[in-house]
Amino acid sequence: MSDLMDKTEALVRKAKALGADEVIAKTTFGRRTQIRFSNNEVDISKVWNDYVTEVSMAWQKRVVATQIQNFVDAEKRVEDLFRLAKVSQPNPFYGGIASGSFTYPESRVDIRLRDLEEPTGYVGEAIEAAKGEVGKDLNAGGTLYSYYGDVYLVSSEGPMGMDARSYIELSIRAFSQKEASGHGVSCSSTLDGFDPASAGRKAGEIARLARDPVPGEEGVYDVVFDPLITGSLMGIYSMMSSAFYVMIQMSIFGNKLGERVAPEIVTVRDNPAAYSVANRAFDDEGVPAGEKAIIDRGVLKTYLHNTSTAKIFGGETTGNAGLVVPQAWSIELDPGDMSRDEVFEKLGDGLYLTNTWYTRFQNYITGDFSTIPRDGAFLVEGGEITGSLKDIRISDNAMRMLNGVKAMSRERQHVHWWEMDTPTLTPYVLIEGVKITRPR
Amino acid sequence: MKELDKDVVEHALEHAMGRRVDYAEARAHSAFSEQIILRNGVLEAYLQSVDSGFNVRVLAEGGIGFSSTNRWTRDEAKRVAETACRLAMASGRKTRIEFSEMESNEADWRVEEEQRLGDVDPESKIGLLTGVDKEVASQGIDVPSRVLQCFADQVEKYFVNSEGSKISSYVPRVACFGIITVKEDGKTEQAARQFGYSGGWEAFDLWNVPAELVHESMVLQRVMREGKPLMPGETTLVCGTEVVGIASHESCGHPMEADRILGREMSQAGRSFIYPGGPYWLGTRIGSDLVTIVDDPNVEHSYGYYAYDDEGVRARPRYLYKDGIINEFLHNRETAAKLGVESNGSARAVGYDREAIVRMANTYLMPGDMTEEELLEDVKEGVYMRSFTEWNIDDRRFNQRYVGREAYLIEDGELGSPVARPTIEMTTKGFWSAVDGVTKDLRFDAATCGKSDPMQGVPVYTGGPVIRLRGVYMK
Repeated sequence: MSDLMDKTEALVRKAKALGADEVIAKTTFGRRTQIRFSNNEVDISKVWNDYVTEVSMAWQKRVVATQIQNFVDAEKRVEDLFRLAKVSQPNPFYGGIASGSFTYPESRVDIRLRDLEEPTGYVGEAIEAAKGEVGKDLNAGGTLYSYYGDVYLVSSEGPMGMDARSYIELSIRAFSQKEASGHGVSCSSTLDGFDPASAGRKAGEIARLARDPVPGEEGVYDVVFDPLITGSLMGIYSMMSSAFYVMIQMSIFGNKLGERVAPEIVTVRDNPAAYSVANRAFDDEGVPAGEKAIIDRGVLKTYLHNTSTAKIFGGETTGNAGLVVPQAWSIELDPGDMSRDEVFEKLGDGLYLTNTWYTRFQNYITGDFSTIPRDGAFLVEGGEITGSLKDIRISDNAMRMLNGVKAMSRERQHVHWWEMDTPTLTPYVLIEGVKITRPR
Repeated sequence: MKELDKDVVEHALEHAMGRRVDYAEARAHSAFSEQIILRNGVLEAYLQSVDSGFNVRVLAEGGIGFSSTNRWTRDEAKRVAETACRLAMASGRKTRIEFSEMESNEADWRVEEEQRLGDVDPESKIGLLTGVDKEVASQGIDVPSRVLQCFADQVEKYFVNSEGSKISSYVPRVACFGIITVKEDGKTEQAARQFGYSGGWEAFDLWNVPAELVHESMVLQRVMREGKPLMPGETTLVCGTEVVGIASHESCGHPMEADRILGREMSQAGRSFIYPGGPYWLGTRIGSDLVTIVDDPNVEHSYGYYAYDDEGVRARPRYLYKDGIINEFLHNRETAAKLGVESNGSARAVGYDREAIVRMANTYLMPGDMTEEELLEDVKEGVYMRSFTEWNIDDRRFNQRYVGREAYLIEDGELGSPVARPTIEMTTKGFWSAVDGVTKDLRFDAATCGKSDPMQGVPVYTGGPVIRLRGVYMK
């Protein structure tokens, strides 16, 4: 494996010899498997092998980047890239890349995921668990992913590191009727934290409760959000906390650093910790990708930065450098102080929404948006589910909803699936005054 | 650009065919891509990549196996083929997957470029985008954020299968995205536009991006200055081509994808309001007689153009809704076999590492015979929603919402003052059944259609004429 580090380092040396000011090369050798299933059967099994080196360089504030596969024509590609830099245009806002040497935590990657050959049994476990809830009418579909990869990063400015990353995640959607479904996930960086049956049970339970839905009514409701839908919303907030999105005015957080943007019970962190399916030791500049609070007890503490955006905003990099722009790795919403049942008791009358998709904004600065709940959507009366709903839409405002958080559970779940870009560890969340609309 | 090594691809196929498989194919996909990102006239980054590899997909013992790599060696080809075969055989399906019959095809097709993408140097590409930014910034309108992105892709493919098909292709594609924020009197409005073309750099002359984005700036400024919210109630709605295009794509194209109909996308992109044994099926009325929506990959130089799909099937137009009736689903070979028909060439994949699944190409409402003046003159009171901002639709493709970006009141057949963010939330049947007038115009917009897991964003056109809907509840 040190051979790969040597090859990666050689590309950096080559670029420096050509005259580049700063260079980073990152090589990923990874293997990913996927099983897709629907109608209770496996549709397709896939294996991907990827051998990729990303090289980004700057010359006189001209920033260029490329991808090289399996080191094929690598030196020539670096030469081409340098030529491209020379005919490119300077970015006066470019502030360099991180310098120095860092120590990284030891990877707690699961070596078993490297050799996982036939994980079809996990799919069967999830389907069986869902069937235990729904019975013979169950129709389930979903995806199982597993990944193992080695990452080698070399920066001309000092950082150099090797990371091993792994994850396994199962996403299952269970139908008890054509318009009654539930969704469950199990996500972990290791096989030890992976429980496909729990995902199946949850999907099945929601699907069972969702039978015979009736159209919901327009209005303003207090709503308990399941971890799956909260995770989707957190993904939006985390994207908006990237300094780049603030700069291009696609964020509700512009000019709000140090201001209260949520009630005191809300603390949002970025933390690509060992448990997360987005686990990583360093960002794409080689800066340790540790934990940081974005919103701390309701106050917006920081945007997510790479070295360049940090200089623009007069701060330090937060270890969130992606290839071009800073990004969140893995979001955590701190737990509340009550049980899940107590959150429902506090809700009293309102709605319980379990999932969503298609979140779209009219205006990212004001935060006006809508999103379509999918899977179980429930009417709650006196803290108990009393009916299943369909055909409703959340048509609200992202800042207002953040400010509307009233309670959170102690229980949290690490969630990630197809609709959710950023993995999230999140509790059940009660938000008051959510605007619900429906088609006419 | 990395040359496709056809020998390696054929070696992979031969190796798969040497196993006990019912069907095998090998598909190579090599893309040379450039991406330019400009923020407020400053070049953020210039990215260039070669993404090149191949996959083997086999059908064996009723299951499908798929394996891909970006390592171009004969040993790797053999290993990938063996992996695909092993995965297919391990699927343990009770019901066997089959592919519909098709004739084998041999072809070598390409999209021509007037101005080859490879001949346009990076400085010229950056310079053109910088010029667009200058034009937008110099109109006396406060546009504090301007993000422009340009993509130029040159894609080579090579497809071979165990039935004798052998297809080579070359498709150059260009796309430009513009996101602007306009400020006026402390308020802001935003617009996003996408332009797409299969062909060469001549696309930029055809699009006239500066004029389009300047128009958007002026529209947003006017909405903030003069736009009034709409009084909720029933009215006549006239939809511009952009709105007709998105509605055709979302509430006709997607629900007519046979993989959704059969449940194969149930846990990701979702299902459809059309399903076996349900209230809607082939022959069921879904709209007025004026509603004929076609999906046609053959529109020359369109963003969604292809001559053969990624299963080697010849592309042809698909009449999805015809005269208001559900007429033909979009199929690949897997879904076609399940419903006892032939594939209509709708299988697409965005890369060597993605399976070809059922996708749209260019989806649009067929034009009618009215002029826009004739369409409007009969409207005493109404709203003209020329373009949209926020939109979404449920995963059955039945409950949709569109919020107007550029919209005007209609009074006695004439366009009046701007309306701020008029909104419709309607069912698919409600929307298409309310259509009582269709103009003879036809205009396309480029879009990237997202579906599948892992996500595959495919280039498409959406489009249509201007249409009139009666008795629509708006707010």
